[in-house]
Amino acid sequence: MHVKISFRLLSYRLRMTRVNVLPSLPELPAATLAGPGALPMAELERLKLLDVPEEWAAFSLSAPTASGCWSSSVVFEGMHCAACAITLEDALRAVPGVRSVQISAASHRGQIVWSPEETRPSEWMQSVERFGYKAVPANDAHAHERRRQEARRMVWRLAVAAMCMMQVMMYATPAYLSGPGEISAEAMHLLRWASWVLSLPLMFFSCAPFLGNAWRDLRERQISMDLPVALGMVVTFVVSSLGTFEPDGPFGAEVYFDSLTMFVFFLLMGRWLELRLRDRTAGALEAVLNRLPDSVRKRQADGEWVRVSIRRLAVGDVIEVLPGEAFAGDGRVLSGQTQVDEALLTGESLPLLRQAGDRVIAGSHNLSGSVEVRIEQVGAATRYAQIVALMESASVSKPSMALLVDRWAKPFLVAVLLASLASAVYWWPTDPARALMVGVAVLIVTCPCALSLATPAAMLATAGAMARSGVLVRRLEALQNLATIDTVIFDKTGTLTRDAFEVARTHTRAGVSAAQALAWASALARHSLHPVSRALWSEARRQAEAAAHMADLDALMARDVSEQAGQGVRGTLQLPGQAAMPLRLGSAAFCASPVFAGAHLQVSLADAQGWLATFELAEEVRPEAAAVVAALHNMGLTLKILSGDGQSAVTQVAQSVGISDARGHCQPQDKLQALQAWQAQGHRVAMVGDGLNDGPVLAGADVSFALGQAVPLAQSKADFVLMGGQLEVLVGTVLRSRQTLRIVKQNLIWAAVYNAACVPLALVGWLPAWAAGLGMALSSLLVVLNALRLAQDTPTTWVRP
Amino acid sequence: MDILYLLIPLSVALVFFILAGLWWAIHRGQFEDIEAEGERILRND
Repeated sequence: MHVKISFRLLSYRLRMTRVNVLPSLPELPAATLAGPGALPMAELERLKLLDVPEEWAAFSLSAPTASGCWSSSVVFEGMHCAACAITLEDALRAVPGVRSVQISAASHRGQIVWSPEETRPSEWMQSVERFGYKAVPANDAHAHERRRQEARRMVWRLAVAAMCMMQVMMYATPAYLSGPGEISAEAMHLLRWASWVLSLPLMFFSCAPFLGNAWRDLRERQISMDLPVALGMVVTFVVSSLGTFEPDGPFGAEVYFDSLTMFVFFLLMGRWLELRLRDRTAGALEAVLNRLPDSVRKRQADGEWVRVSIRRLAVGDVIEVLPGEAFAGDGRVLSGQTQVDEALLTGESLPLLRQAGDRVIAGSHNLSGSVEVRIEQVGAATRYAQIVALMESASVSKPSMALLVDRWAKPFLVAVLLASLASAVYWWPTDPARALMVGVAVLIVTCPCALSLATPAAMLATAGAMARSGVLVRRLEALQNLATIDTVIFDKTGTLTRDAFEVARTHTRAGVSAAQALAWASALARHSLHPVSRALWSEARRQAEAAAHMADLDALMARDVSEQAGQGVRGTLQLPGQAAMPLRLGSAAFCASPVFAGAHLQVSLADAQGWLATFELAEEVRPEAAAVVAALHNMGLTLKILSGDGQSAVTQVAQSVGISDARGHCQPQDKLQALQAWQAQGHRVAMVGDGLNDGPVLAGADVSFALGQAVPLAQSKADFVLMGGQLEVLVGTVLRSRQTLRIVKQNLIWAAVYNAACVPLALVGWLPAWAAGLGMALSSLLVVLNALRLAQDTPTTWVRP
Repeated sequence: MDILYLLIPLSVALVFFILAGLWWAIHRGQFEDIEAEGERILRND
């Protein structure tokens, strides 16, 4: 078996080695390989952002072993096996200035020690990319290290408890197996003394967290789950110590070290599993932060434009904001004119015009033109800060089921303390030692650990697994809601379709070729950022590149271009050796063009003589949309489309993906009304939108999804954000949520049944303390293990048809 | 049976000895990446 694995590794290694050699072969075109020349300039520019010392502290420490060097934490993407780690280590070591490299194949993380005098992060990161992998700075390195330390301490506590428990059990065995008088009193005393010694580290080291928490709660006059447990430990230990050193005392000569050690061991085992679960979730959520810094183009003092990370932006800087980007800070427009979307910040749903002198606010989106902005405020408005805020809000939000449990936990704990006191008082006259142990058994057996773990453990496990597959959960509560929905409403544009158009058909005036019309139209279109213009420009460029006529297209320069909002673009085209040609591109009315029958969006081109051409633009349906719709349908969900577009276009998309109920011409308030009408009929509705235009609808739905990466996350009202903008993860998310609810219910039922069955047994004294400890630990363990089933990356049975 | 008076304290000492070994192993991170050491044999250096 071992040999087989090694061979597999070797063959991987060989393959990797071959790949390594390829980029240096001169006869291969650089573009087909991830060679040094193939790294796009934009990508290189982004990597260079990391070369500034201000950025290093986020993922590096100054190396303790080599003076003057930095030790950087990096996460590698695209790593599959141990062989990848070896390849990467070799590649990194080959970079001059890199002192040492350590990569863990299991965690896909690495430590790189490098000297800032000889190299820069962008250099060694490039060498990683050259081999087809990707290195991103591990911004969560410090949190990761903290969690690793905590996990170590926990394992150490568990190991101490395990060793002591095993040996104490050995010492207890003779007492159980021997008849009365078979062991001499001295030998018995020696065994007890040895048990006592081994209980000390367990009591004062392994139990320290429980005792510490209980003590804190006592001082703050609070009551928590650790209190009865700690009380049980202390009472057992004191009674057993008295039994060891004062056999004639009020509690007799009986000792319970075996119960104590076993109970503590099982308890720690449960806590350790819980910690591992939490680490995996936290790790998955924090990993979202591991990426290159967000950047903006800033004007330097000498007038040059450079790309800098948002973190280095200061008040007074002038930045250029391109259409589609968010404003990195509050500021004032210096030049240019654009429309901005402030819907998510101010609730204003219409795009607003912003020109020189107007204020723009951080986090709002630039929609149409590029502008220069002087920054007046910077800070927590960056996408980075938003993701952090999003994660925090998700991790502190408590689902209502967990809140319910929490509300009942306190009175329950008070009842437990009273019940154990009552049982101890009841048994005291017959046998004081037995009375105390019955009280301890009640304390331990009723600890509602399992009950309070049931919901959060399962939901956190799911949230972590979802984060790994690119779905961020904003409220844990939403997981619970998602499992019970019966209707899914889709928005059309940007959800079922890609947000870009493509040219489907071209009608032209006699004597004009389609390609020529497109080339002329593109000369105007390239000055506009309307989605339609972008589609025309990219189609023209695609055709020109295919025919190697790019220079001709670039030579077509339009002058005096002006855009009339909602109408179109006009301008003058100067063709070499010809008279100037005034052109209009836009709606049929704007160009006085005939209207062609058909469901597609139409855009027309006209010159001085009138209509020239009409382009029909089709929306491209996402390739996975039909499969996703079919899968959701099979899960028993009703699917609908509500869209703001024309009915015919909506119907066409609906038919192609297989949804029968589709409504077009919907304003946002129409959508909300339709949604509320369905909710009034008792349906539970999930809404899937692009997160930008349907804020109120998303907020009104029982559960909401936002697609796409352009959404400012924290302001988005969606419960789930599909980070990669992939529709297909939707199916997995619904399946996961159902599975989560099922497991939460199992957990709650199990915990309730366990408590209901064991409390009476303990009260009448039939349940010894060790059995109570075992029962309690096992019930927590079962709950956590059950929840851990959700943390697997592929629990869903969703197969692409 | 007198040997018990030596053996039982010895077994207690043995537990502490084993615990010391465990402490060393845990704090050297030996349980954090279990596969890496086995794969080191495949490396060139």
